Amino acid sequence: MQLKNDTLRYGVVAQLFHWSIVALIVTQYVLASKADALPIGPAKIATLATHKSVGMTIFGLAVLRLIWRLANPVPGLPSTTPRWQRAAAHLTHWALYALILITPLVGWTMSSARNFPVSWFGLFTLPDFVEPSKELYDFCHELHEFLATALFVVAIVHIAAALKHHFYDRDNVLRRMLPVKLKP
Amino acid sequence: MRSKSFLILLLCLAMPIAYAAIQWTMQPRQSELAFIATQAGAQFEGKFEKFTADIRFDPKDLTSSRFDVTIDMASVNTRDSERDGILKGEDLFAVKQYPTARYVAETFVDKGNGQYSAPGKLTLRNVTKEVPIEFTFTEDSKGTWLKGTASLKRLDFGVGQGDWKDTGTVANEVKVRFALLLNKN
Repeated sequence: MQLKNDTLRYGVVAQLFHWSIVALIVTQYVLASKADALPIGPAKIATLATHKSVGMTIFGLAVLRLIWRLANPVPGLPSTTPRWQRAAAHLTHWALYALILITPLVGWTMSSARNFPVSWFGLFTLPDFVEPSKELYDFCHELHEFLATALFVVAIVHIAAALKHHFYDRDNVLRRMLPVKLKP
Repeated sequence: MRSKSFLILLLCLAMPIAYAAIQWTMQPRQSELAFIATQAGAQFEGKFEKFTADIRFDPKDLTSSRFDVTIDMASVNTRDSERDGILKGEDLFAVKQYPTARYVAETFVDKGNGQYSAPGKLTLRNVTKEVPIEFTFTEDSKGTWLKGTASLKRLDFGVGQGDWKDTGTVANEVKVRFALLLNKN
């Protein structure tokens, strides 16, 4: 399979970006709910630290992924796709890109606002761009949770659409994001 | 009579020694006592808003110099009220049982180039241990600055009971930074 995309399918690089980000986002929901359930203590701090490191990883991958997308052809939709579905597909995709970029940024700001600088897996510490502030923290906390919920909802729509294409329309829309052969 | 004059003589001899080093007054507003701790690999800084310092220091008379600093542990400020609350709690500073910490330095070493060190003793949570400080003594337009650093291990003083004994998440080593603005009495 080719590294780059062509007009019919996504290449290996785009697929790796897609599925690694999927795995990391799932990890984020697990870590966030685990941290929420823990009492204040080193275990909670450690869980949140991993959540932050994974979040910054997602952000970095999202930036690279966007660059890769802009530098590659994007496989088109089946010619039979109605206009509203094309619009919905574009809207969903760009909403997902926006969310995987903005959610980690808000999380990072939220951490800085509490004077909890973010370390990336203990290897280096990210700079704080804001001064500690309770109001800013509260705002970012709410926004972070809202964005996470929005991401969940949009992802459900995205998954539902992919499955509809695969099982109902029986086209190549899901297959082209998988390391499998396309249907002729 | 004889013993009385002997006592006066002793006092006269002792006085210049005891009062030879200059007594300084700290300007609390401009002075700072901060610590840098590491949490999940990232450093953060906190401060003690309230502390008093009895500083007797003269670079030319180190033998009679003395630092005596008392820190109000409940005045800790890490710019996050939840974390401050935890720090003041029983497992960490335990401010109810141990409201103050104290640092006393009585011997000083001139390391040259305006650098000094002192193997002073810190009492924190009722544990007294040596915590050496490195400092400079400089003057600027505002006054005289006593600026320096120290490093300590929080668990040496029992700062971290129960789960907080774990040093994987909150590091054992804590750095201390201070800058005291002093004026002559």
